[in-house]
Amino acid sequence: MEMQEKFTSAWEAAGLPVVVLARTEDGFAPVYQNQTADALCGEFGRFLTDCIPEDIRTRLLGGGPCPVEGELPFFCRIQSGAYSLVPFIWEGFRVCMLHEVTGYYNENQRILNEAVMANKAKTSFLSEMSHDIRTPMGAIIGMTDIALMQENIPARVKECLNKIKVASGHMMSLLNEVLDMSRIESGRILLQEEDVDLADLLHEILTVIRPQADAGELHFSLKLGQMAEERLRGDSVRLKQICINLLSNAVKFTPAGGNVEMTMEVVPAGEPNRVFLKIKVQDNGIGMSQEFLQRIFVAFEREEKSTTSKIQGTGLGMAITKNLVELMGGTISVESRLREGSCFSIEIPFTASPDQEERHRQALSGRRVLLFSDRKEQTEQIRGMLERLGVSMDAAASADEAVDRINEMAFSDGEYFALLTAEKVKGAEMLLFLPQVRQRMGTDFPILLLSDSDWSQMEYVYTRAGVDAFIPLPLFRTRLSAGLYAFTEEARQERSEAGGQRWNFRGKRILLAEDNEINREIALELLGMANLQIETVENGREAVDRFAETSPDYYDMILMDIQMPVMNGLEATRAIRALDCSDARDIPIVAMTANAFVEDVKNSLDAGMNAHIAKPLDMNQVYSTLDYFLGRGSR
Amino acid sequence: MKEYQLSYIENLKQVILLSDTASDLGLDAEHFLRARQEKRGRIRVLVEENTVLLRKHLFPLLDDITTASAEDIAALEEFANALMPNNQDVPLAYAIHNALIVYARHYRLRDMLIRELYNTAMTLFHLNSLIEVTDPHRYRWKMQMLFGEAAAYIKNYDEIEDPEIRGYIHRSMGNLALGYNTGTLENGEKKMQILRRSLQILTDPVYQQKTPSLPWETYIYKSHQERTTGLSFLRTGMASPQITREVMESAEYVWEKQQEMSRRTGRPLSTRWRVTYNTAQYHCGILTLRQLLMIMEELYMQRDVSDFTDEGNYTNLFLPTMYAEYLSKDSRYKAAKKEVLGHMYRMMLRYVRSVPPEKMTFYFVRNLMNTFLNFIEYPDGIQQRDFLLQLAVCRNPETFVYLQMTASVSRMILNRIIDRKPELLIGVLGCGNTDDVLASREKLAQLAYDSGMFHNIGQLNFTRMTTMAGRNWLKEEQELFHYHVQIGANILKRCESTKRFASAAEGHHFYYNTLGGYPDDYDPKEHENQAIVDIVSLAAYFTRLLDDTIDYTRTPLTLDEALRKVAEKSGTRFSPAIAGLLQEMKDELGEYLKDGRLKAYETALYYLKREDPLP
Repeated sequence: MEMQEKFTSAWEAAGLPVVVLARTEDGFAPVYQNQTADALCGEFGRFLTDCIPEDIRTRLLGGGPCPVEGELPFFCRIQSGAYSLVPFIWEGFRVCMLHEVTGYYNENQRILNEAVMANKAKTSFLSEMSHDIRTPMGAIIGMTDIALMQENIPARVKECLNKIKVASGHMMSLLNEVLDMSRIESGRILLQEEDVDLADLLHEILTVIRPQADAGELHFSLKLGQMAEERLRGDSVRLKQICINLLSNAVKFTPAGGNVEMTMEVVPAGEPNRVFLKIKVQDNGIGMSQEFLQRIFVAFEREEKSTTSKIQGTGLGMAITKNLVELMGGTISVESRLREGSCFSIEIPFTASPDQEERHRQALSGRRVLLFSDRKEQTEQIRGMLERLGVSMDAAASADEAVDRINEMAFSDGEYFALLTAEKVKGAEMLLFLPQVRQRMGTDFPILLLSDSDWSQMEYVYTRAGVDAFIPLPLFRTRLSAGLYAFTEEARQERSEAGGQRWNFRGKRILLAEDNEINREIALELLGMANLQIETVENGREAVDRFAETSPDYYDMILMDIQMPVMNGLEATRAIRALDCSDARDIPIVAMTANAFVEDVKNSLDAGMNAHIAKPLDMNQVYSTLDYFLGRGSR
Repeated sequence: MKEYQLSYIENLKQVILLSDTASDLGLDAEHFLRARQEKRGRIRVLVEENTVLLRKHLFPLLDDITTASAEDIAALEEFANALMPNNQDVPLAYAIHNALIVYARHYRLRDMLIRELYNTAMTLFHLNSLIEVTDPHRYRWKMQMLFGEAAAYIKNYDEIEDPEIRGYIHRSMGNLALGYNTGTLENGEKKMQILRRSLQILTDPVYQQKTPSLPWETYIYKSHQERTTGLSFLRTGMASPQITREVMESAEYVWEKQQEMSRRTGRPLSTRWRVTYNTAQYHCGILTLRQLLMIMEELYMQRDVSDFTDEGNYTNLFLPTMYAEYLSKDSRYKAAKKEVLGHMYRMMLRYVRSVPPEKMTFYFVRNLMNTFLNFIEYPDGIQQRDFLLQLAVCRNPETFVYLQMTASVSRMILNRIIDRKPELLIGVLGCGNTDDVLASREKLAQLAYDSGMFHNIGQLNFTRMTTMAGRNWLKEEQELFHYHVQIGANILKRCESTKRFASAAEGHHFYYNTLGGYPDDYDPKEHENQAIVDIVSLAAYFTRLLDDTIDYTRTPLTLDEALRKVAEKSGTRFSPAIAGLLQEMKDELGEYLKDGRLKAYETALYYLKREDPLP
């Protein structure tokens, strides 16, 4: 009571709106406001909740100094006026005094608007210039790459080149956006008319977005609705750009631990062969103010908040997206609430492209496959797709169950056409299980892996485990049918007519160190079939000598038996790695052994080997290993 | 067999003999310790010799199996088969049979392939029996895959001329049932379905006429025997009327055959099949629980304590375990039969003490583990903790020594923590602040000691691999051994007297920074006594570095070297705070190590020489 009287006597007659904050355990809290403040702001407390921007409120209520040097003035808009807010300390209290500055503020705003106009002019100039800037940027990037590939670059120079590479890459992406925008605005952008495979498109999008979401510690999910058609006629590059823009934005503006969800569906448009592609990208990130929402699709607009100031961007992404969607004849809309998240929806009309389903159905109808997956929803989805192809399916949710199914089928009169397997099944070690299935079912039995991971990253491991092919997730009917069809007699016939050869390492040369003559013969014959040049030696010593006497990069790889007379494979590897040749440290050396003690596996890696191939040689494993290390093998 | 194969097997036998402590029990602790060190030295030489033999002769051959001669292949088959009796070296047999499958596939030798599929699956069956209770899936699917592939050759029956190979097909078909010994009602039904199909073929006159030389009667009899193992589903209440009926039918069949055999040979009826028959009668409502328990008691009294065959194992180990399982079905009998069960446990301990090391088969160990997992603890009766401790002593005094040293070091670390950083123990035993910790010093020290004492109890399951390994471990064995943490925890969780030590058993190989170690699904946050787990984890590692009793192939380190090793793993494998305190304890540890090991041996010998080790 005494305190209130003290405030009244000090501030009631001030003539200016005054709010007094008292110190609490962790900052300040309002304890008084005079009648002038009541008249301006409303009842006690609303000054803080309704009248001042969030960042100023946080500063006033926080325990730190306020204001700090150079921070003033704070401006706030109350009713129709503009006010400057000056906080100062009085007898231990933080006093906020408001001065009306509407005229001054409006004048400043006018100057600001002029500045924006001037900025737009600069932007326009930049747009026109960007194309010309891109050309030398391309040269900078290219030359940096070339410089980085040179040998014996000093460490400091290499560090600088790497930084140039990163910075120039970033600059290039900004320039691309500016250029895109200028093309759109000047009507110079032309859309391609081509087949768009939505499965491919989505897989490419996810390959880009998933790592971004993981890096931001976000939960990313994808939902597929009705997919009336899976192949459309349109511009796949631009469609991908639209999706990636929306998703990258969601990822950028959602804090760690948040959710980003993408929904895709293709629904009939009411006319033959016409469909609508509907995509929705929803997040629970920082959201946008209603004011900014009006300007979201305007070029160079970015919401200026403390939470967004560190996020890089030109402010062109959404403008480009909207323009591309509209160029395709579609619409884009957005809903958002501050601190709750945003939801972008697009709807674009397309013409459906004819697919191969009927041809696949004819070849596959009547067959039976085994699905190994513990995801019920996926199991039912695949069952439905297979039924449409006339294929029946048994499902197994564990390795035990899968083996039971295989055994039961073997005792019956039927047979499985193929195994469709998930990448992970709870409790099953896939890299042990799949090779056993391969052995049991023979080399002609198709094993197809369903995965949403990047196949190029896992191909080496899974082909060695017996997997023949990969079907990307989320699963599309066309992709599933094409995957299975590839293993039918009809498809084999087509390939044979086209004269395809599965593996081709023409131009590659390997050194094979193997003491056993029969093994050498087998390897020579089988590796030769893939057009490899093979040179052989009979022990480790010879391998070291041969490698040392040849010119750098003469060999692309060494296959090394472990147990050999004179010098074993481990010693030979160590000796090669120690040689003073430019490629001695980098040449892939692959061990060949099947049985080893725990320490032997470690020893081979410690000796400098890169991997090991199990003996006796399984040529699919050998080829996939070669492909992995030689990198340029083609199938 | 080849010369190196014979040498290898001979060395294995020597290792098993040298691992036996019975002949040294008359010595005092000091001489006992010396005798053990001398034998360990000899074992080390044999292990190295065997490892070299495999490296030099076997592994190169397995690596290039497709280039092996017919003579090599024949010797390999013989060698692999010779490794199986008494489970001498199942993992190596598995590796060889696997390679033989590769050979058979490569040269399309169908008959050999069928035989090797069967043999490999049998090695997996034995490995599976070691961990089946904890992880029934690790080997099951592969075992089923191999048996299934061999059995599927029934489609090519007429093309196969060799009756022996046809026999493997029938045996594989029946052995598919081995994959479903435990678990759900669904498993029970699968088991019955497999045996039904197998029996249909075995009793089919067409097949019998096609291969008259096969022992059809034996196959049919064995199939019925296997079907009676469905009793385990009846015991756990997971059985349909169909399962019950088929188990009963088979029990009757086996019982009749047993009686007939007994009449013919004059040999007494097998206890195992008498129990099985009567148990089936109980489950069909013909006998009451009281009658069944009385029959079991009567049969138990007729046991031969020096019989270490499977039949002896059954009567001395499995029967009391099953008796305990039936007792727990009715609290009245459970209370009334306390003394009987106590007697059985005491006798069981004596039996386990006297079993020769070469008879420590996987079947024996599985029965022992089943005892722990079904142990009935009465508040004033035999406690599981005493029972386990005595088993550890009697089966391997050196493991006991290691455990006791770990326990002592754990207690020393705990006391140091209380003196220097009591806040580390907040949360343990409900201590809410440092005052609580200081007031609970004794209880906390006892918990640390006991946790150290029991942390490695799961290793009993791998006695064969740890104390009788005649060579360096293969990768398969290392992975198998990882299960000792879950097995130990499952045993300890079972009873009131041991359940508080389960966390230490489960988590002592899991890294402090959660980025390494095992088991994968261990979550430190779920264990309120995690600080004790951290202490035991460190004490166990540190103690092992100073010791070569468990891992014969390692040379013990000095105190300074061991402390350096611990320091290297501070913050990764071990809590940096606790690892830091250990460095401060160098003098105290040095003092303890002067006679700590000898005293532990004295305790072990004291227990071993007592007539009745249980309190």
